[in-house]
Amino acid sequence: MTGEPEEGRIGSPARRIEDPRLLTGRGRYVADLTAPHLAHAAFLRSTVPHARITVDASAARTAPGVIAVFTAADLAGTLGPVRFDASIPGMTQLVHTALADDRVRLVGDPVAMVVAESRYLAEDALELIEVRYDELPPVPDVATALDPAAPALYDVAPGNVPYHDSARYGDVDGAFRSADRVIGRTLRQHRYMAAPLETRGGLAVHEPAGGELTYHASAHAPHLMRMVLAAHLRLPPHRVRVVVPDMGGSFGSKWGITREDLLVCAAAVRTGRPVRWIEDRRENLLVGGHARDESLHLEAAVRADGTLLGLRAKLVMDIGAYSVIPMNPAFFTLALRLLIPGPYRVPAYDFEVSTVCTNKGPYVAYRGPWAVETWAREVLLDIVAGELGLAPEEIRRRNLVTPAEQPYRTAAGWRLDGTRAPATLERALELADLTRFRAEQRRARERGEVLGFGLATFIEPSPGGAEFLAMSGGGKETARVRVEPTGEVSLFTSQIPHGQGHETTLAQVVAAEFGLPYTAVRVVHGDTDATPFSMVGTGGSRAATFGSGAATRAARAVRDQVLRLAGGMLGAPADELELAGGRVYVRERPATGLSMVQLAGMVSLAPAYLPPDTPTELAATATYDGADGGFAQATHCCWVRVDPGTGQVEITRYLVVEDCGSMINPAVVEGQIRGGTAQGVGGVLYERLHYDEAARPLTGTLRDYLLPTAADVPPIEIVHLGPEPGAGPPDHRGVGEGGAICAPPAITNALSDALGTEITQQSVTPSFVLAALRKAGATLADPLDR
Amino acid sequence: MESVELMVNGVRREGRVEPRRTLADFLREELGLTGTHVGCEQGACGACTVLLDGEPVYACLLFAVQARGHEITTVEGLAAPGELDPVQDAFRRCHALQCGFCTPGMLLAAHGLLADDPDPDEADIRGALAGNICRCTGYQSIVAAVRLAAAERRRPAAPEGAAR
Amino acid sequence: MKAAPFDHHAPTSLAEVHDLLARHGPDATLIAGGQSLVPLMALRLARPRVLVDLNEVAGLAGIRDEPDAVTAGALTRQRAVERSPVVAARLPLLAAAVGRIGHPQVRNRGTVGGSLALGHPAAELPAVALALDATLVLAGIGGAEREIAAGDFYPATGGTGLRPGEVLTRVRFPVPPAGAGYGFHELGRRSRDFALAGAAVVLGRGVDGECAYARVAVLGGGPVPRRVPGVERALRGGPLDADAIAEAADGVAGEVEPVGDVQADAGYRREVLVTLVRRALSDAARRADPTH
Repeated sequence: MTGEPEEGRIGSPARRIEDPRLLTGRGRYVADLTAPHLAHAAFLRSTVPHARITVDASAARTAPGVIAVFTAADLAGTLGPVRFDASIPGMTQLVHTALADDRVRLVGDPVAMVVAESRYLAEDALELIEVRYDELPPVPDVATALDPAAPALYDVAPGNVPYHDSARYGDVDGAFRSADRVIGRTLRQHRYMAAPLETRGGLAVHEPAGGELTYHASAHAPHLMRMVLAAHLRLPPHRVRVVVPDMGGSFGSKWGITREDLLVCAAAVRTGRPVRWIEDRRENLLVGGHARDESLHLEAAVRADGTLLGLRAKLVMDIGAYSVIPMNPAFFTLALRLLIPGPYRVPAYDFEVSTVCTNKGPYVAYRGPWAVETWAREVLLDIVAGELGLAPEEIRRRNLVTPAEQPYRTAAGWRLDGTRAPATLERALELADLTRFRAEQRRARERGEVLGFGLATFIEPSPGGAEFLAMSGGGKETARVRVEPTGEVSLFTSQIPHGQGHETTLAQVVAAEFGLPYTAVRVVHGDTDATPFSMVGTGGSRAATFGSGAATRAARAVRDQVLRLAGGMLGAPADELELAGGRVYVRERPATGLSMVQLAGMVSLAPAYLPPDTPTELAATATYDGADGGFAQATHCCWVRVDPGTGQVEITRYLVVEDCGSMINPAVVEGQIRGGTAQGVGGVLYERLHYDEAARPLTGTLRDYLLPTAADVPPIEIVHLGPEPGAGPPDHRGVGEGGAICAPPAITNALSDALGTEITQQSVTPSFVLAALRKAGATLADPLDR
Repeated sequence: MESVELMVNGVRREGRVEPRRTLADFLREELGLTGTHVGCEQGACGACTVLLDGEPVYACLLFAVQARGHEITTVEGLAAPGELDPVQDAFRRCHALQCGFCTPGMLLAAHGLLADDPDPDEADIRGALAGNICRCTGYQSIVAAVRLAAAERRRPAAPEGAAR
Repeated sequence: MKAAPFDHHAPTSLAEVHDLLARHGPDATLIAGGQSLVPLMALRLARPRVLVDLNEVAGLAGIRDEPDAVTAGALTRQRAVERSPVVAARLPLLAAAVGRIGHPQVRNRGTVGGSLALGHPAAELPAVALALDATLVLAGIGGAEREIAAGDFYPATGGTGLRPGEVLTRVRFPVPPAGAGYGFHELGRRSRDFALAGAAVVLGRGVDGECAYARVAVLGGGPVPRRVPGVERALRGGPLDADAIAEAADGVAGEVEPVGDVQADAGYRREVLVTLVRRALSDAARRADPTH
């Protein structure tokens, strides 16, 4: 590795501050937390997908070790109905109780909660609760849900469509009329999920005397959670504190405030005991947050030369039985609709969306919840190229918005500026050496071997710039920086690290403003009593952009305070001073200076010797609105080899060429890209949440839900384009979602190429591959037989 | 309740447990060794990997009473407080962790591999660690860290005081 | 996801084991490595009232090198088999297959006897026992021993040949004649997953290189571990060239009854079994030495 990791300057792969703790088993995750007199919660969950219920919990109430048993009726006075006060036009709210009252809507629906002296005893008591299920017809999929004969999951949403909306950008009819060809497909993403290695969980402590509730949770929007908990438990928000300890991953899935969060807090209020609930893996796979289950019908109006004139997009999302506060899946479609054209020139398009309720797990955010736009568009582009006799790279080349065309006004009306998607494509093509590969592919085919290559190009809003943010519902970010009496610095951020390394990267950013080593900056996070308010918390690659933007601005404000104070003491105007290495000195007279320790010590301990208007601490709060932020972009290339005897797929090479501006810490950036790409590999080749035709789940353990292992994920080559020469000030753009967004189309396009068939579904299993090879009438030798 | 006496990280420990309590829950709840994580309770994720008499096992698939009389090593036993052992240090240098939840199990699985094979190639490492899911890194940095740790272990010790 | 309560006994002798089995009858369940049982207990899909733990029983573990066979005690860890130089030298099929069981953590705990007694139709050890024509030794209450061929231990009707109160104590793997060739292939959804399908083959060549004998067992070929006698018959006495092997392997499709699930349907498994049997036969034919 290069750079100076000990100093941690921006752009160096600084070693992570959090790692010694996590490497020695001293991380503290929510399941590791305890409290005096701790009680344990467990949930009885519906075993049927759709039914009217009656519950008799009497036998459980007297079971050994049981402290309390709650049904919906028992909590009616403690916990209000679960609701999300959305402001999205066209969306019907699906209000329900935290515990199912008279109706269950999926296998896994919480029906009762037991609080006991141990989790073992709580699970014993669950077995004593009697539930009578009067089954209703199940709604296993979108087709059933939209059948007029199907039962409505919610009376307020007849037809099972709680959200429908459409938008039209530019002269779509004109575009389609003037097209040489209209080529469309229905492209289907399957249901899969974030499945972080740490499941959800929380520990609630309620002090009846002061009425204060503290909730330790594995969640990354703690300020929003505080407000939601307060509203549902009818407590004043300022008497609710949410604390997030170390977190074992989320990938968006723990963004929401779930029914179990509300219930665990209600149990603490009602029992007077600290109550901890740790989701087990079976619960996580049922109700811990599903994603991606949607189809996009996409039609392209093109000229014969491949020029895109317009698109028509019709999205249907299977959102399952419940939506999780605050992210009704409808919300994700606000950004999704803006991103349909991606990095391409699309003068006109329209967009229509329906969300559909079924008796399946709730749909939540997962690492680019808008990702279907990239997958579907990149798959369709390959199909269009094939029909027009163009190479996949050529159709992209002809339609990508070039730097010279920017700032470019998209059809939806927002400004695209500073993007370099074409450069990622061209660099990737140089490295891919396709001429050579195509020859090799032909020779291999003659030997009976099946090789394929695919690519995909995309942009990732990170954060996208002022107009994009305004249209997609982004929010501002605030940070506070304080110089401590030792001269070291604390940053108070509303970012919630759970793998992204914020304790390191945000320290690097703040340290740079003071010329300090990054180890001198302590990053304080995860406590609503200590950190600035943020509705969003962590998500959407906000840390690199909003988090660092706010931290930088707060640090600069403090730096100005330090320089003013030092100037007064040194008798020099602030603009003649330098701040470096933790010391302020007069530029012309470096020997004349004061250390940060001296300055901070004076402010803290000897204010009487300072001018009367000196603040009592060197600290500042600053807000960043993301207005000058832009996009990250990348081209992914995937090479596959298919075993014609078994349909097994091997990714033989994987290349990412990306541009995320100036990197704070390249090791962290590469970790995000590789981790996201691995999840894309999982999504296409291994992961799928299965339900049968009666909406019964078939993937209940990690023996069935197949997460990719070290033996399944290929090495991933990464090339950073880096900032362009002469680019402006440091511009850090997020890369959190990109790997998971762009890998699926690169992989499915490679498989289409290998199999010589269109692949219009994202899940590609060995049996699918084998069937495709048979269908193509391939006569293939078995390379292993020789 | 049954009594359990065993060695954990070189220290004799005792407890009284129900027979159904898993070794993972016993280590975490009774002994306070929360570095052993629980991710699936099915032997399918590897987060609870510990060493039983020097060999990696899933602590969620062993009852605490079955560990009676055996030696257990958890992540807390790999290095003295404030220090990192060579595998932990290699993980840090290679950025082989993100959220850290899989890391203790991954470290112990790596120890198991290196005890068997001081010079594993990439395929050996990927195969030996396939029983440990990491959802964050994509594994490449973990493979690099194990290779680095293996190389450092094979290197003859530098003379005392020699600069690295 | 916590197991239901149970009583745990850790006897140190086989006599004690039998006493416990006699005392508790159907309430008692034997546990060895527990790598298949404990996951089911965590889900409360298995809820034994009494767990009779074999791990402390003396004399049940170990690999013995015998003139015509290698015998493994029931409590021998799969990892010990994997590392055994005796197994590597004399039973390369077993060595190849055992390394494909689960992950190192599973093999460090899982036992030879546990896997054989469970008899999962897609497991490695039952298939290898069938292909090697192994003999299982069962000890009944009172200590009387009885031997049973692997083929009889897995009746086509399901279950195993274990009678109430019996304990599998060891398995004798006959060493194939000198010059025998072996092949083992299995396929999971992920690289190191539970097998969807697989094949274990032992065959020998006659003086002209023809197939003198062949034993072919499949993984995932139906509800029980099984051989495919039709394939074996098709090969016997004939050449072992690519065409003959391919033709014989094609016969697998009509001989097996795979069970589909969410990972792969029955049709896929059937198709892949043909490929895997063909590959295992090809490897075995290549390794078989006609000069013996």
